[in-house]
Amino acid sequence: MTALLEVKEKLRQIYGKYEVFILPVAKFLLAFITLNALNGRMGYMTQLDDMVIVLIVALTCSFLPMGILVVFATIFSLAHMYALSMEVALVGLCVYLVMYLLYFRFSPKDALVVVLTPLLCGMRIPYVVPIAAGLLCGPSCVVSVSCGVVVYYMIEVVVGISSNIKTMGDDAILEKIRMALEGIIGNKAMIVVIAAFAVTALVVYLIRRMSVDYAWTIAILAGAVTDVAALLVGDLLYDVNFSVGGALLGNLLAVAVAMAIQFLRFCVDYKRTEKVQFEDDEYYYYVKAVPKMTVAVPARTVKRINSQQHRTGGEAERRPASGSARNAGATGRRPASAESSGGEERRRETAERTGAGRRSVTTERTNYGRKGAQRAPYGGQRGGRTASGKSVTIGSARDTGTDAGDSDTDQADEWL
Amino acid sequence: MLNEERVILMTRMVSYEKNEGRKNRKIGSYFRSDYIAVQILKSVICSTIVFVVIFGLYLLYNVDELMQDLYTIDLFAYAKTVLTYYGVTVVGYGVITYAACSWRYARAKRSLKNYYNNLKKLNSLYSESK
Repeated sequence: MTALLEVKEKLRQIYGKYEVFILPVAKFLLAFITLNALNGRMGYMTQLDDMVIVLIVALTCSFLPMGILVVFATIFSLAHMYALSMEVALVGLCVYLVMYLLYFRFSPKDALVVVLTPLLCGMRIPYVVPIAAGLLCGPSCVVSVSCGVVVYYMIEVVVGISSNIKTMGDDAILEKIRMALEGIIGNKAMIVVIAAFAVTALVVYLIRRMSVDYAWTIAILAGAVTDVAALLVGDLLYDVNFSVGGALLGNLLAVAVAMAIQFLRFCVDYKRTEKVQFEDDEYYYYVKAVPKMTVAVPARTVKRINSQQHRTGGEAERRPASGSARNAGATGRRPASAESSGGEERRRETAERTGAGRRSVTTERTNYGRKGAQRAPYGGQRGGRTASGKSVTIGSARDTGTDAGDSDTDQADEWL
Repeated sequence: MLNEERVILMTRMVSYEKNEGRKNRKIGSYFRSDYIAVQILKSVICSTIVFVVIFGLYLLYNVDELMQDLYTIDLFAYAKTVLTYYGVTVVGYGVITYAACSWRYARAKRSLKNYYNNLKKLNSLYSESK
């Protein structure tokens, strides 16, 4: 568990450090996969079914807000529908319009769920969506998930009726509209899936908000069970022929994904739960505090910054006496290499010089075998090897007469 | 001299201003009644468009039957039914909008109050440091 927590912390640090790059790349990948999936599934407009266009649009999406991806995905799907038949595109436009006007005016952030739901439905792993949405979003996610399911089934209906539509003449306008509408409205499988996913998302949301131990875990398991049960009941009522094995396996996968989400988002230690009670003038407070599981990731520590003058002669290269050291020290790295054998090994890695003055930075690699007292305090073990930490010594020596690289070797005590 | 508490507070406030705060300040610039009225007005327009779209699809779907019964049905009663549906749609959506916007306004105000308290705290931290 500690190793996992360390990995999580490292991931967090990496994300914090490279967020500027990670987010656009993630958006690009999502846009690329979404548009490719759309082109692969529909692909009626051959002009859009082109890798160059997909790449350009995905790149555009990578630096624009997430809502733009939804807009592009909508445009792509409508364009494909239009290439199939204008009437089908009209029906698609109406469905999108109703969704956008009624719901996404309120919560545009949930638009991502509407993209992910059909995408995961297409990959045959849709059961992750309601559980993940229940864990991460508010109760309004029920509507988002439902809208996503509608989009998926609308695309499926269009794909299903495409062969019939192609055989119809241009004058069969009403028949085409009727066929598309019947396919969407009369789709019992869609209704069952919408109901099952809505109930699942709501159950997960309600349970994970409860003040009980392991609320998230209970919510995930309850959500999976609810999902399977609702699908089975819907199957019995409407005879839509769901694959029970597929639903079970899909929900098992959803539980695994949800557990990973829980680990990343809500990792607490219920064993150390504290219940406290206090009061003020107006209220009694019954507080339950659950500590988060965290582990400190060892970080590089700057041990000491020295600023000193050396005036030694002899073999050293002479410098102007007026030379002044720059303040900011460059970092040297000293891995706590306790396993090195014997003696003291010093290596000077960098010597930086500037016009009037110079700064020499000495990085020491010291073997602590003999000089235990010199070990750097780190991670509870002075100078020893730690999981990933490195102690670093920075020296900023202002030399007036000699190169720091040739200064006396007993300087180690001063550095440390 | 760097004051850690001040830096943390400022960082949080900047983060708030950049994300949620922008939206909340826009909401907070209205009186409650004005904000809700504007949102309900938008909702009425949206629900009207949606109703027209859905009713248009319905007409297209049933155009054959409607054309056959055009001279036999009571058009006034039909229009009354349609208007009733329209009213139910608009009022229903308006009520949902009212509830959602009231909740959103209260949350934004609470959040802004917290933000202004933080501003005061920051000010006092500056005063202390002088």
